[in-house]
Amino acid sequence: MSRSRCGAPVEFPTLVGYWLDELDEARAGEVEEHLLGCDECTATAQSLADLSAGIRSLVDRGAVQAVVTDSFVKRIAKRGLRLREYTVPPGGSVNCTFAPDDDVLVTRLEAPLDGIGHVDLLVSDASGREQHRFRDVPFDAAAREIVLTSRSPDIRALPASTLLMRLIAVEGESERILGDYTFHHRPWEGR
Amino acid sequence: MNNRYEQSDPEDAALAQRIAAARPGSDAEAEAELYRRLAPRVRFYGLKHLRDEQAARDLVQQVLMMTLERLRAGKVREPERLASFVFGMCRMVVLDLRRTYARRERLLETYAGDVSAADPASSPRLDHGRLMQCLDGLGERERTVLIMTFYDDRGSSDVARALALSEANVRVIRHRGLQRLRDCVTGGMAS
Repeated sequence: MSRSRCGAPVEFPTLVGYWLDELDEARAGEVEEHLLGCDECTATAQSLADLSAGIRSLVDRGAVQAVVTDSFVKRIAKRGLRLREYTVPPGGSVNCTFAPDDDVLVTRLEAPLDGIGHVDLLVSDASGREQHRFRDVPFDAAAREIVLTSRSPDIRALPASTLLMRLIAVEGESERILGDYTFHHRPWEGR
Repeated sequence: MNNRYEQSDPEDAALAQRIAAARPGSDAEAEAELYRRLAPRVRFYGLKHLRDEQAARDLVQQVLMMTLERLRAGKVREPERLASFVFGMCRMVVLDLRRTYARRERLLETYAGDVSAADPASSPRLDHGRLMQCLDGLGERERTVLIMTFYDDRGSSDVARALALSEANVRVIRHRGLQRLRDCVTGGMAS
C-alpha cells in the first residue's frame, strides 16, 4: 500500500511549534492525534526531527562554523564535549592550537558592542587577504563579545600560520572597526 | 472537543475492522500491514516525548502489541477512530517508559565513568555532509538561530533571550532558515 494523502495537513510552522513544545496542551493534543492517523504529516514532522538530530550530530562532531552565544557554549559543554577556548581582547593576539581529543574550538572576541546595530566579522590570512566575511552576525550587546565555533577538521588541517579577525560595526554605508584580533596557530605537538 | 486537524484514515480503519472480525491472530497479513503503517507514527510520538531513539522503539513495540491484542479481542470500540485509540495508548505507555528511562539515566550517572560521554548518534537519515553544506549556505542569523534552536530543541523564547532579539523575530528567522535548509537538503522537494 502506498502512503495515504492528507485531507487537512498540519501547517509546517505548527509542526515546528509542536516539536519545540511551543503549543498549548490542547493544540498539541490535536496535532498528536492527527499525526497518529496520518502518514503524510508524520513524514513531514519526522523530517524536522531528522534535521534536529543532524544539527546536534554536526555540532557534537565540531563540524559547524557559526556565531553562537556563551549560553550555547555552556550547553554543549554540559553534554560532555571537550572545548578549547580562546578569549581575545580588541588589538590582542594569542598563540593557539587544537588537540586531537578536543571536540570544539570556541573563540571569544571581546568588543564594545553597546548601541551597535550590525556587526560583520572578517577573517583574513597573515597578509590581510580576506578569506571569509560573516555578515550581520547575531550578538547580545550586553555580553560584550562575539562567540565563534570553528570547524574542527579544518583547524586540525591548518599548518603553522597566522590568522587575522576583525569586527566591524556596519551602519548603512559606513563601517567602523571595533577590534582586530590575531591568532598564531600551531598544529598540536603534544603537551 | 473539535479537532481542527481531524483525520481518520480509511485504510487504517479497514485493517482494524479486518483484524477485529477475524479469528484472533488469524489475519496475519492485516496485522503486519497495520503495524507497518502505524510504527513510524508511534515512533515519532516517542521521539517527541522521550527524545531518545531506543525509548521510541520500545514505545512502538509496546503500543502496537497492545493495540493488536485489543483489536483481536474486539475491545476497540470504534475501529474507524483508531488514531484516537492509539493516542490514548501512547500517552499511557510514555508515562511508564519515562519512569523506566529515568531509572536508566540514574544508573548511567552512577556508572558514568564506564560509558562514553556523548550519547550514541541516532541512525543517520540525512546526508550530514549535505546538511553541513546547506547550513553553510544560510545567512549568519539563520544559521545561529537554527543551531541554537535544534541543538537541544529550544523554543523561541530561550533563543530570543540569548540573542537579545524578540521572540517574533526569532520565529521569522527560524521559519525562513528552515525553509531554505529543507529546500537545500531535499533539493527543492520540501516546498
